[in-house]
Parts: sequence; structure tokens; C-alpha cells
Amino acid sequence: MAPAGEIKARFDAVSKRFGTGPESVLALEPISLEIPKNAFVCLVGPSGCGKSTLLNILAGFETPTSGVALMDEVPVVGPDPRRGVVFQQGALFTWMTVQDNVAFGPLATGKSPAEAVRIADHYLEMVGLTSFSRRYPYELSGGMQQRVGIARALANDPQLLLMDEPFAALDAQTRELLQEEIKRIWQDTRKTVLWITHSIEEALFLATDIVVMTARPGRIKARLSPQFALNRDPAVVASTEFVRMKAEIFGMLRDEALAAQRQEAAI
Amino acid sequence: MKAPSRTQRSRWINLASFGALLAFWVIVTTPFGDKPLVQPLFLPSPGSVWNTFITLTQNGYQGKSLWYHLGISLFRFGLAFTLTVLVAVPLGLWMGMNETVKAVLDPPIEISRPMPKLALLPLLIIWFGIGEVAKVVIIVLALFPILSISAMQAVRSVGRRKVQAAMALGASRTMIFRRVIFPASLPGIFTSVRVSIGLGVTMLVGAEMIATSAGIAFMAMSASDFLLTNVVIVGALMMATLGYTLDLCARALENRIVHWGGKEG
Repeated sequence: MAPAGEIKARFDAVSKRFGTGPESVLALEPISLEIPKNAFVCLVGPSGCGKSTLLNILAGFETPTSGVALMDEVPVVGPDPRRGVVFQQGALFTWMTVQDNVAFGPLATGKSPAEAVRIADHYLEMVGLTSFSRRYPYELSGGMQQRVGIARALANDPQLLLMDEPFAALDAQTRELLQEEIKRIWQDTRKTVLWITHSIEEALFLATDIVVMTARPGRIKARLSPQFALNRDPAVVASTEFVRMKAEIFGMLRDEALAAQRQEAAI
Repeated sequence: MKAPSRTQRSRWINLASFGALLAFWVIVTTPFGDKPLVQPLFLPSPGSVWNTFITLTQNGYQGKSLWYHLGISLFRFGLAFTLTVLVAVPLGLWMGMNETVKAVLDPPIEISRPMPKLALLPLLIIWFGIGEVAKVVIIVLALFPILSISAMQAVRSVGRRKVQAAMALGASRTMIFRRVIFPASLPGIFTSVRVSIGLGVTMLVGAEMIATSAGIAFMAMSASDFLLTNVVIVGALMMATLGYTLDLCARALENRIVHWGGKEG
């Protein structure tokens, strides 16, 4: 574990406005948020609250309207292989084999082809896809495709993993299995993770920190520290504390979802 | 398995459909009683067309062998098609990558696109003479907008997520283009290549209509002046076979190279 209080990344008064003039939309109010080293931070909030925008800003895909995102106290100016990104779907290189997908990062960051393949095989083994390395992504199920995406992001050995609803498009059973798997990977590698999800249970099961956001314009409504991330037992989801926190977050999100609905109706 | 049997079923229907057409041709041209339903001058029988084809392969047409006519047609099409693919596709890719290049090249291409190129043929003959150049140029003009604009569209429709993923993995601009944007654009490019084969063969017929003394379309055109219906049909069928064969080749190439086309992962 890192010394207490060590910060891996943070948002310093980051706001985002899309468009200009009277038609513009304020997606994020100035947000300050710290992501401790080795933490697993889950952002939850109603649709359109700007959680993906926040992740895109830290990834370097979007620039904030004001404020700055920092990693190791260095401002983010663009994408960087030290930050691995996993998307919901549609981000794999369909024309490459699974192995080539995972080897892409190591190759891009200057490893020799042989070394890149060795790294790819290592991470494919970690996500249990060794026997699929010669297949193409379209030959795989949705859950396996997400594993490839995770292995690909891990292959650069990033210090920070940014994951934008990686399991949202999967069926419930696959999602649960992958949640257990990502928990194991996180416990083994102790990467710092910023994870976006709609699912309260997913957040409670995985996160060391849960950040609840408000409806647009997004602000931080609450920050919680559940204690289930280090637990390896899938049955924690039935514990009293888990159920209590779930109800608590559910109540917060319900208020925000209703607010979001009113906004939509007003438009 | 279900999938192959379905393709097999389609194959049989294809074959039956083709057979029905042929049967129809045979029926209307076979003499029942004293004369056939359709006079040979309007539509000769398949057998007599075949005989004409054999005669043409032996004696040629207007002093040139049939293979010479076919060869010159293939040469005109092949040269124009290859030139256009080699120039228009890279240019379209560049337009897709670079807003300035797009802004510069979009107007001339978009203006020329709906223009009927055959209307330019007389002008092209004035400019380039009656040699091969005018014929090749007219095919190039017809194919250029399709190939360049589709290549540009293909680049612009590459999934943003894939490009972002490549950037986040540390890829340089060159690597992103070579290993992400270019392969992701290939299915779109192949579609336009196949479309332009059909259009190219059509333009070839137009190009061989005026000021030429060789080529399959020329043969059919000149034969119609002498009411040699058989030769006209041999010519038309050879053009059809040419277009179909080229399309089959392109499709085979497409299946091999862009096996992921239309599939998501």
C-alpha cells in the first residue's frame, strides 16, 4: 500500500461547457476530486451527469473549459500510455487478432515485436484468454471482448486505469463474473482505478471510494468509502452493511434521476 | 449447420434463375412449326450466338483477332482503373485525415461528380486526340469522385473510440494511421472499388463508341451498323462476363483482406 494520503491523480476545479453562446450546455460544474494511489474510485450518477466527460478529461481526450486534471501533479495535456483506458464496447481493433490487439500498446511504446508478444501472452493469460489469442474480436462473446480490452489496457503497465462503463453492455451473469475477475486483478496489481458505472452494486462490490454525482451540470453530491473491495467473497453483496449502503446510494441517485428527468422534460 | 445450407440454397436459386433465363432465350428462338417466336435478326438463338463466338475466335473481327479486341478493352479499363485507385484512394484518405486538404479538393470533386462524363468525350478527343489517352481519361474522370469521396468517408467514419484507444496506448500519428485508420477504412474502400468496376465497364463502352477501331464495345457498335445481331450479342455478353469476372475477383479479394468487414468487436 502507498503511504496514506498519496494522491495519484486529481481534478482541480475542472469544468466543462459544450458549445458556445446561448446554445451551450454546462456539463460539469467546477469539480475538485482526488484519486488516492492504489484506490479503486467509482463514479456513479444519472445519465448525462458528465461522468464520462470527467474520465475523458483525465484520459486527455477532451480539454476542460476551466481548471486542470493532473496525474502525479503534472497537468494532463493529451493521451498518455501511463493511463490505460477501457471503453464500453467498439474500441477493439477488429482487423487484428486478440494477441495483436494486446501487443499494440507495447509495440507503440517501443518494445520489440517479440517482447510485445510475450507481454500480450502474459496479460491474455491473466484474463483467461490464452487459447483465443489467434482469434479475431468478432469471433468472441461480448464478455471476452471486454477481457481483451482490459488486457490491452494492462499491457502498457499503466499507473492509472480509466474504465468507462466497461461492463454496461454485458448480461448480468457475465458481468458478475467479470466483476470478480477485475477485483482479483486489482487486488493483485493494485493499479489506481477510476471506474464509471451505472450500477450501484458494481460500485459497492469493487470500489474503495464511491463518488456520487448530481444531475447535469454535474457536481459531487457525496463521497463514500465502502469496505468490500478487499473482500474476495462474492457473498458480501448479501451482507447487512452492503444492503444498507446500497439503499443509501439508491436514494441519492433516485433524487438525481428525477431531477434529470425534469431537465429533459423542460427541454 | 444452418448457415452453409442457406448459402447452398441461394446457390441453387441463382443457378435456377440463370437456367430459366437461358431456357426463355431458347424457347423464343427455337422454330416451332416454320419459324421461331422472335426473328433471328432481333434475337438469334443461343446456339447460333455460340457459333458466331467460335467463328470470331477463329477469324477475328474487321481484321483484328477477337483477343486483340478483348485485350485492348482490358488494357483501357485496367490502366484507367489502376491509375484511379492509386491516385484517388490515397487522396481520399488524405482528405479524410486533413481538413485543409478536404476544403481544397472537395469543391472540384463534388462539382465534377454529377457531371455526365460521356458528355465530355468530344471535348476530351479535341484535347487528347483520338488515341488511347482520351479513352483512359474519361474512365478516370468517372471513377475518381467515387473512389476519392468513399475513401474520405471511410476515414471519417472510423470509430472515434478506436482512435482514442490507439492514442491512449501510446501510438504515434503514423502508427494510428497505418494500423488503425487505414485498416478500419478498408471495408468502405472495397465497397467503392466494386461499385467502380461496374461503372468503369459502363464507361468503357462509352469510350469505345467514338473514334476507335478496336475493342469489344467497338465490335458490338460497328456490328450493329451492319445488322450483325449475333456479333452484337457476343460483344454484350463478353462485356457482361468481363464485369462479372472482375467483380468476382474483387469480392474474393475483399473476403480475404477485409474478413472483419461489417462485424464489430
